[in-house]
Amino acid sequence: MFLILLRRELLTNLMAFRFFVTTFVCLLLVVANSIVLIEDYEGRLKAYNVAVQVHRDKAINAPTYSYIESTVDRPPNPLSIFNQGFDRRLGNKIETYRNVVPTLWDAELHGSDNPFLNLLSSIDLVFIFQVVLSLLALLFAYDAIAGEREGGTLRLMMTTSVSRGKIILAKYISAMGCLVIPFLASLALAQILFVVSGSLFFSVNDWIRIGGIFATTIVYLSAFYLIGLLISVVFQRTSTALIFSMFIWVVLVLIYPSLSVSLVDQLFQPQEKLKAATKTVSEIWKRVEGEEDRYIGSDPILSGYIGEKHEWIFYLATRGWGMNNYKSRYVERPERLLYYRIEGIWCPLLPVEKESEKHTLPALKSYYKYIESMRMRAAEQTGLIRQKTYRDTYVREANIATNLMRCSPAAMYDLATQAWAGTNLREIQNFFAQARQYRQTLIAYLHDKKAFTSPKWFTVGGGKADLNDLPHFSYHHSGVWFNVKHALPDLALLFLINIPLFMMSFLIFVKQDV
Amino acid sequence: MIFHIAKRELYDNMTSLRFALTLLLLLVLMAVNAINHLGDYRARITVYRGDMNEALGHMKDRTGTLYHLIRFGPGELHKKPSPLSFCAVGGEAMLSRQVESWQGGSWAVRTRNEENGKVDRDIVFGLWRLGYPQPRANLGNILPKLTQLDWVFLISVVLSFVAILFTFDTISGEQEQGTLRLTLANSVPRDAVLLGKFLGILTSIGVPFLVASLLNLFLLSAVGGVDMGKSEWGRISVIILIGLIYVSIFIAIGLLVSARARQSSVSLMILLLIWVVLVVLTPSTLGSITSGLKPAMTRDEYRSREVEIFSRLFYEEYECNSDLMRNDPLTREIPPKKVTSKWSEFVIELAQAREKLNHEHLNDQISQVQFARNITRVSPAAVVRYAIESLAATGLSRHLDFLEQTRHYATEYRQFLQETDAADSQSPHAIGVAWGVSQRPVNFEAIPKFEDLVTFSDSFNSATVDILLLVLFLVVFFAGAYLSFLRVDI
Repeated sequence: MFLILLRRELLTNLMAFRFFVTTFVCLLLVVANSIVLIEDYEGRLKAYNVAVQVHRDKAINAPTYSYIESTVDRPPNPLSIFNQGFDRRLGNKIETYRNVVPTLWDAELHGSDNPFLNLLSSIDLVFIFQVVLSLLALLFAYDAIAGEREGGTLRLMMTTSVSRGKIILAKYISAMGCLVIPFLASLALAQILFVVSGSLFFSVNDWIRIGGIFATTIVYLSAFYLIGLLISVVFQRTSTALIFSMFIWVVLVLIYPSLSVSLVDQLFQPQEKLKAATKTVSEIWKRVEGEEDRYIGSDPILSGYIGEKHEWIFYLATRGWGMNNYKSRYVERPERLLYYRIEGIWCPLLPVEKESEKHTLPALKSYYKYIESMRMRAAEQTGLIRQKTYRDTYVREANIATNLMRCSPAAMYDLATQAWAGTNLREIQNFFAQARQYRQTLIAYLHDKKAFTSPKWFTVGGGKADLNDLPHFSYHHSGVWFNVKHALPDLALLFLINIPLFMMSFLIFVKQDV
Repeated sequence: MIFHIAKRELYDNMTSLRFALTLLLLLVLMAVNAINHLGDYRARITVYRGDMNEALGHMKDRTGTLYHLIRFGPGELHKKPSPLSFCAVGGEAMLSRQVESWQGGSWAVRTRNEENGKVDRDIVFGLWRLGYPQPRANLGNILPKLTQLDWVFLISVVLSFVAILFTFDTISGEQEQGTLRLTLANSVPRDAVLLGKFLGILTSIGVPFLVASLLNLFLLSAVGGVDMGKSEWGRISVIILIGLIYVSIFIAIGLLVSARARQSSVSLMILLLIWVVLVVLTPSTLGSITSGLKPAMTRDEYRSREVEIFSRLFYEEYECNSDLMRNDPLTREIPPKKVTSKWSEFVIELAQAREKLNHEHLNDQISQVQFARNITRVSPAAVVRYAIESLAATGLSRHLDFLEQTRHYATEYRQFLQETDAADSQSPHAIGVAWGVSQRPVNFEAIPKFEDLVTFSDSFNSATVDILLLVLFLVVFFAGAYLSFLRVDI
């Protein structure tokens, strides 16, 4: 009897116009967007490859050790096609000076050719499932009980020996079966497009991640079906159930996530904290500057060069890019916690190969040996302050917004799939952690080469610095376990809301008069 | 008769669940919108004034000699924020808020003072040109992605959805229940039924929309710090009117489908399909697809053309690396006047050519987006977005207007400098180099200042095409609904 019921439900759903329409829309959207997304991924991959080459050449060709400008890049994530998350939005290129410990906020984006294209919004595959399939789930559910009650078939069914629980279960299973079909079909079509494009390859691990996205989608759709079922059980008329479920859908899927985030954003005012931290950061750097002045003042040779006496040493004494005119503009950037006068500067190329300047060489050598280690220590100190401040301001705000968003299953679905695809904030932060690691590697490399005590630190007089064995940077995606660990909480939450929804529909249905 | 039917439809709707839910939803959204923009305009206008003052300060610093004004230009030119950004945020974060005067390049040259015959060492600098900085959009924004809940979202997404929910069963539902046959059995013409229903539904959506808008406007003007002048009220009224036209389009589509479909459930499905395609799919995906058809100048291309321009002018046309231009007095005797004017011509032409390239690059990028936007105009949802953006003075069309103004200003500014130099008979009139211009100080007050002007007529003009397009959509769909309702068997 249960099987007959199941078969009937499955057939009604499959033959329904709504199934046809939604599957059609879903496939259309997936195909159109896959084309856009693949093209976008290819563009980003190309930009990444070019950037890596350019940055490597630039680093190796630095004339002196101090001039090394090592920029590291984050490759685009192929799974961003499923959920773009932060992959496209946050910086993917960062310079790792020895004087700055890099954070997410110092990153830049290796550019697209046309920044105006950002005005056109783009959507990813998960967004399509999130919008279209949840709508289908509700459309399957709204008349599941209310419709049969109106049509009188519910009463007819009750006269047979089938229990009410079985009726609900049969409806649930068949609807879920039908919901999976458009999803699998779109996945298959997308896969064909991926293969045809020839630029997208998924490893075994990636397939596990896609499997995770698949599982999450099923749980998500089940949640929406059960919401619809509950509405269908509670309301006596299909029209009321329909209107109610449509409004619920608009609120949960389209409105609530943005609404919660925008409110949190409006309420958070991190400026004071940032200003206070900038003050601490600039004090540390000012102390370094003071030490530097003291050192130069007490050195008999270098002190003679302070002021405008000599063009090159003048730069040394003011420790800048010679940007005296712009000093006021470059001093402090509270929103990025930067104090610009000393952070991130290069040492100048000093023309000490000239005979008249030769005598400054030992003095400069000991000056740089002294000052560089002090600067790096200061960079580490300020780095800790900066990271902590970011955690207390921006990251905290984002966490609160994310948690508030979680009241909507659509948001949970988005977050879980982001974690599976590895486009969530955690994964992006890994890149910056690796960039910080790379900075340490570089410093260790410079120590190994005894670069800080070498005249090649600041002058090309004795020939160009040999940098061919400069360590490479390559970004390591975190393993599948990392994705699992961060996707599971949201997946579990999504699963958990299924249970009370099912129990409630079941209990109300059992107690109801037909 | 029409009003009778409209009244009946209105009363029917007002007691229904969907009306209550619509009202609630719109009120909540409008209240949240107001909260999100509390004090927002005041903060942005303060930043704008601060930036303007800073830019004026830079200009004032340059008034010591005319040459500084010629070399560094007028400073940054800032875009004025719009008080109506709560209506349409318009992707302002992705558009830059200023145009800058870039300069660059310096070449050493020796000159001989004609009067005392002394040799001076001088530097020729590159002159300023208009540059268009690319905004670092939201790189530090780690908040989850969000859709802006502005009026554009509320109208284009929520109101159209509501319109579908109000119309999908108006005709098919009555047909199913048999009340339509009853109505038509009386001497009621069909067009009166259709028009009555149309007006009834429009009122039952329009009233909650108006109520919610008034709440929003009240909150923002009373405590939100938005200065609502005459022009702003005019803009708001037109925006509300546009919203109503847009809702009417979806009501007409709903009536059309509802008249054709036999069952309400089928009609709802078709309408949802149409809604998803028009509102969700077309504005984003179609735009992204079509933008690929018209690629813009790439960065590399831009850079190589910049290098090419420089080397053409520097090495070929002006032979700036030659001894003659470097004018080394130890090797040659050259009247410096000729060299001076040649250098001056060179830097001016270089700045012009580079500025032209910047314009070309920018126009190329913009025309790519414009092309994509034009294609997306097949969807009323995109059209209504562009129309509201134009009227709220945000978004791309406003940005283009701002860029146009900066170009006009640049011409005016250069004209002023030229005239100032021409007025000084002592000047050698080679205004590209420091020793070739008038050495008198410049009166700061006399220099033309940039001010970004936003006029209602400009905004309205750029919105006209979109408004007409919306009216056209409405006429077409209403005619469709009318014809299909006339022909339907009951």
